[in-house]
Amino acid sequence: MRAGGSERAEQIVMPETYDAIVIGSGMTGGWAAKELTERGLKTLVLEAGRPITPEEDYVEHVPVWEVPFRGLRNRKKISEDQPIQGTCYACDEWSSKFFVSDKEHPYVTPDEKPFRWIRGRQVGGRSIMWGRQCYRWSDLDFEANLRDGIAIDWPIRYHEIEPWYDYVEDFIGISGQAEGLSQLPDSRFLPPMEMNCAELVMKDTVQKYFGDERRLTIGRAAILTKPHNGRAACHYCGPCERGCITRSYFSSVNATLPAAAKTGRMTLRTHSVVHSLIFDAKTRRISGVRVIDAQTRQATEFRSRIIFLCASSLESARLLLHSSTNEFPNGLANSSGELGHNVMDHIKHGGARGTIPGLETRTAKGRRPNGIYMPRFRNVKEKYSGFLRGYGFQGGGHQADWHRGFTQPGFGAEFKHTMAAPGPWSFEFGGYGECLPNHNNYVELHKEKVDAWGIPVLHIQCAWSDNELAIQKDMAITAAEMLAAAGAHDIEPYTDTAGDPPGFSIHEMGTARMGRDPKTSVLNSYNQAHDIANLFITDGSAMVSSSCVNPSLTYMALTARACDHAVQQMKRGEL
Amino acid sequence: MERREALRLLATAAAIPLVPGEMAALLRAARARTQTAGLLRTLNPQQNALVVRMAEIILPETKTPGATAARVNEFIDLILTEWYSPEERDHFLAGLTDVDARSRSRSAKDFVTLAADQQTAIVKDLDLEMVADSVIEDHDHSSRGNRHHAPHNFFASMKQLTLTGYFTSEVGATDELHFQIIPGHYDACVPADPNEPSK
Repeated sequence: MRAGGSERAEQIVMPETYDAIVIGSGMTGGWAAKELTERGLKTLVLEAGRPITPEEDYVEHVPVWEVPFRGLRNRKKISEDQPIQGTCYACDEWSSKFFVSDKEHPYVTPDEKPFRWIRGRQVGGRSIMWGRQCYRWSDLDFEANLRDGIAIDWPIRYHEIEPWYDYVEDFIGISGQAEGLSQLPDSRFLPPMEMNCAELVMKDTVQKYFGDERRLTIGRAAILTKPHNGRAACHYCGPCERGCITRSYFSSVNATLPAAAKTGRMTLRTHSVVHSLIFDAKTRRISGVRVIDAQTRQATEFRSRIIFLCASSLESARLLLHSSTNEFPNGLANSSGELGHNVMDHIKHGGARGTIPGLETRTAKGRRPNGIYMPRFRNVKEKYSGFLRGYGFQGGGHQADWHRGFTQPGFGAEFKHTMAAPGPWSFEFGGYGECLPNHNNYVELHKEKVDAWGIPVLHIQCAWSDNELAIQKDMAITAAEMLAAAGAHDIEPYTDTAGDPPGFSIHEMGTARMGRDPKTSVLNSYNQAHDIANLFITDGSAMVSSSCVNPSLTYMALTARACDHAVQQMKRGEL
Repeated sequence: MERREALRLLATAAAIPLVPGEMAALLRAARARTQTAGLLRTLNPQQNALVVRMAEIILPETKTPGATAARVNEFIDLILTEWYSPEERDHFLAGLTDVDARSRSRSAKDFVTLAADQQTAIVKDLDLEMVADSVIEDHDHSSRGNRHHAPHNFFASMKQLTLTGYFTSEVGATDELHFQIIPGHYDACVPADPNEPSK
């Protein structure tokens, strides 16, 4: 494929050449851009979507009366353009522009195996609308597959990633409370956010009745509680997923990409849909990438010494599957046959909610964009017979507002006055459960269907196993028992399997796993392809198991570590 | 200050040092200059008069403005026109017709021309029926408002739309809820002041 494409002209246009190409500008692409440019590499960052200008695109301070449907969202437009994306809470009337059009970005699943793929294509990717929760993994996670005899062992242990957690946390700024728990190592914290009234009640209850095994702590969030690295502290306006003009929460737009730009060595190219990677059979390296301009459909090539693939777990797998060659007929760097397999997410929609009495005269002021966290307690100290692995709880205390009037009797002056005042407090525990790696959960290229740029779409085959469903049930039981212990009223335990297809925790991972053996894994312990030395994949693809905690922090630490390794190899002349 | 400039200011860090009252005043002044009466697209004048009156009965003017001042009828017209399905819209309009039918069966007058106490009596009936009606589908108490359907009961729709139209209006959010776009801090658990709601 040549720029211009005319056969008669035969003008040889030498592709632009860089030291490194980073594919994707989201959570991990931003880190790769920062780390590689700061280590002196001339780096091209390719982003399939549009540029983001915070002063124009961020809408967190646009009040509800300034949006046409007052927060109810444009129902007809969502049902036509974003029926899948629109199921995500963050795809609201302000932020739906940060989510893809399902029409332009289709995918296919078997009818009996729904999968919900929530995606963002713009500079910053999903780091603009992410949930901001940051938790370290522990050796309970890194040793899990070995201990249980499931899939393959992680090629790394906690002590190998620990300094990289420190490193990325110092840059990100994570607020939270140190707890000294072995299953959930403490980060390098900024001051924690405060717990609200209902959460304080629940914290005391958990301490009193379940203190031996359970702990309630404030969410560990990539949101600043004091100024940090030139970014301002949170001002508690609430809806982070709409952007943050003070850059108080971490995203690649708010933090890593500006750092990369400051080096003068980053070229950020938007509207650049990567079509495929170019494999050079002689050197057995990737020589460059083919790009389709999203707007003009023009094809271009770029060359580089190393490639960092940071397009998100499913997109990275799709790109490699679409870059097959004679040497790699089943997908680039796929001699193991594991590429696209072992898709994992976290199972959620198991938990309970209830009303916490006795707090009627108390309220909270300001909108804290964070909740609580209860670290995993199953299969930590003692083996639990119901299932392997475990889950953590998120959620928190919530005070009802005027929405409670929807179902209550009354009207007139007193009703109006009552509805304007804060209402009863409730508390909700919502679990996030570990998902076991399973070769039969996989993605492949669809034989016929293509996206708006002519690239085959994914056929996703993924389903929860009995272990995940057993975890989801236990979430409802343990959540309800804690609410009962707190004296909650109207306790509603719930599990909603239909409402929680795989993918909906938006923690999809595992499609190009790490491992020691090239026969059973795609990447080595430094996120480097066993088959192709200058290819690094540092998004969620690399994960060997899923833990039960939110994965972004680990992706970021692994990315920084892989960048350091790649640059060291380049300096030694190995790349 | 022009409205556009006020909104631009809100989109930048320059807004952070402003105290919330100043910001609300800025927005309101900007809005007052550009605001024109909305044209109704679904409600005819008779239906509109009924909606205006009923919304004001649900959330009347007190020390603070009521549903009429918040233009709840215009919001309801928007939802009927662009948000509700044709079936949901027809169902709602049939509900309005039913209110007038109830009214005429009482005293041979349309709802809007009834005496206030008679209007209140009809609304009270509707409210009790709503509570008794087990098909209220919506139990979403979240403030993000991701509701997907209109309720089946007419008065449930009317009440939900009135509450939403009022509390998400500029007057409702600022005068009644004292909503602050930029609180600046988080007080996790403080005494509730009945005259100063938190949101």
